Amino acid sequence: MSVKDREVLLEVKGLKKYFEVGKKQVLKAVDNVSFEIYKGETLGLVGESGCGKSTTGRTIIRLYGATEGEVNYEGENVHGKKSRKDLKKFNRKMQMIFQDPYASLNPRMTVKDIIAEGIDIHGLAKNDKERDARVYELLETVGLNKDHANRYPHEFSGGQRQRIGIARALAVDPDFIIADEPISALDVSIQAQVVNLMMKLQKERGLTYLFIAHDLSMVKHISDRVGVMYLGSMVELTGSDMLYEEPLHPYTQALLSAIPVPDPEVERSRERIILEGDVPSPINPPSGCRFRTRCPHAMDVCAAVEPKWLEAREGHWVACHLYDEEAMKQN
Amino acid sequence: MEKLLELKNVHVSFNTYGGEVKAVRGVNLQLDKGESLAIVGESGSGKSVTSKAVMRLLPAKTSKIKEGQILFEGKDLVKASNREMEKIRGAEISMIFQDPMTSLNPTMTVGKQIMEGLRKHQNMSKGEAKERAINLLKLVGIPNPEVRVQEYPHQFSGGMRQRVVIAIALACNPKLLIADEPTTALDVTIQAQILDLMRDLQEKTGTAIILITHDLGVVANLAQRVAVMYGGTIVETGTVDEIFYKPKHPYTWGLLASMPKLHAESKELLAIPGTPPDLLNPPKGCPFAARCPYAMEVCVEHMPEAYDVSTSHKAACWLLDERAPKVEPPEEALVGGAR
Repeated sequence: MSVKDREVLLEVKGLKKYFEVGKKQVLKAVDNVSFEIYKGETLGLVGESGCGKSTTGRTIIRLYGATEGEVNYEGENVHGKKSRKDLKKFNRKMQMIFQDPYASLNPRMTVKDIIAEGIDIHGLAKNDKERDARVYELLETVGLNKDHANRYPHEFSGGQRQRIGIARALAVDPDFIIADEPISALDVSIQAQVVNLMMKLQKERGLTYLFIAHDLSMVKHISDRVGVMYLGSMVELTGSDMLYEEPLHPYTQALLSAIPVPDPEVERSRERIILEGDVPSPINPPSGCRFRTRCPHAMDVCAAVEPKWLEAREGHWVACHLYDEEAMKQN
Repeated sequence: MEKLLELKNVHVSFNTYGGEVKAVRGVNLQLDKGESLAIVGESGSGKSVTSKAVMRLLPAKTSKIKEGQILFEGKDLVKASNREMEKIRGAEISMIFQDPMTSLNPTMTVGKQIMEGLRKHQNMSKGEAKERAINLLKLVGIPNPEVRVQEYPHQFSGGMRQRVVIAIALACNPKLLIADEPTTALDVTIQAQILDLMRDLQEKTGTAIILITHDLGVVANLAQRVAVMYGGTIVETGTVDEIFYKPKHPYTWGLLASMPKLHAESKELLAIPGTPPDLLNPPKGCPFAARCPYAMEVCVEHMPEAYDVSTSHKAACWLLDERAPKVEPPEEALVGGAR
């Protein structure tokens, strides 16, 4: 299916999320990010810590109010004025899986009550029997069994807890799931289990995922398209194979070359682009292109003008002056 | 090659309310001078406990090295007194910890923290130690070291802090550096900087490195030899090429197969089913038997011995016994040239 025939499920337009951090300083965690998520796809969001990928996810699902911009879910703005009833409707369609399976489950609730919380709020079960039946079914879906229902979170391993988190998200039959680093806290062999489960559920239920992670190889594996963020802005967005075969933005190129590959021969022969220095503070980001302070190709124009978000190849978006003919002329 | 460190049948246990947790169960390891060895394994496999046993950093009240020898240049560290260990820690063997945020003292300038070891072990004067501290900061790539030496850890970024930790570890020119997940808390681009730095420093100083990690990419980048740990035992050791291209143990196969390949087409990942064994009641036989698709009866009953695959390559698996059926690793476990 070509990108054009696909139906847009979620549209993020000029999204900004600023935090006040005292002394009238403003931290621009997400600054003018726009992208679309198509029905049934997995969009990966990668970047280093502090790049705003989690804030983007949390703002989409309204855990944070947006400072500016729109999030349109099936054409309706999530961030507009909403009655309780409208909000509930969105909450049912959008769910979230969190990074830390130790911190995101209430230790004083049984697994059954954790999973059924959404069912209760949305009144999806007529009686206790139906509620139990749904919980048992969900436990089985995620590879646990109904004996686990009356236990508490501390009795489970990290991978099992993440399965409980997934069951909780599935309980209200959502269409769209935001997974914020769902596997980062897990061991390698358990990571594969959880990723396989998520991909299986997507196939069975036609789910749409926003998969946020910093592990680029796992993101490539699970995503149809991948967006790369740096210091609050999106720098590149394209199909996952395309991104890995032909990264356009200098930051993406450096990021890809920095990942150590589990192949000793490749590691010995590989030329790495090693970036100098650290990510600048988002409180006072560099002018123009935010990556210019570490960019090996930085030009004069990069400090003066913020690069445009443009489609450099078909379906391959990038924000870099190197691909903007007008900006290159100015330089 | 001259032997630097040798672990012989080391057993470490922890006493808990639930009973005795046998975290390390008979580890044999060897490290030559100037060599880099990676210990890989999942959390709870005993890799950190093994390294802490070498440093004798395990809590004396709750843990015990029950059996075995840890020979450092022929001297048994298990029997060393606290005072003897104090002379070795930081001078002969030093350690880099995972989290640079918590392994530095927030109330001391980084200069003072680097100077601590120099003053204690090498009896340097304050002036000499400070000069050396500045040189060390320069060595680990911290710009403007004359100013930075006076600053506190909170004034450094994560990557810079890890550089400071490395400078402290290298201050007294140790013969062995134990790096426990040195890049896990760092971002990829910063990780690349630190790995580059460690390789560079190893070439310059000739320090032997034990690298503890769960990231096989980092292993391929930095290590010459690899030991794979599972359930408190070493299941396979070999050169980095042997482990990646000719792995023999099904657990190593599982590890390699469950990682997505950046440069290959994506298929379903081959996950290892189940979870690691409970070391409160460790299994009688092979620790991996319960999750192993090739497990035989003997695996459940008897712990396999380490079979020699080559002079440098050993694997503890009954499949290598001549009576066992011949099994080929799954295609997903093949890396690069072996594919």
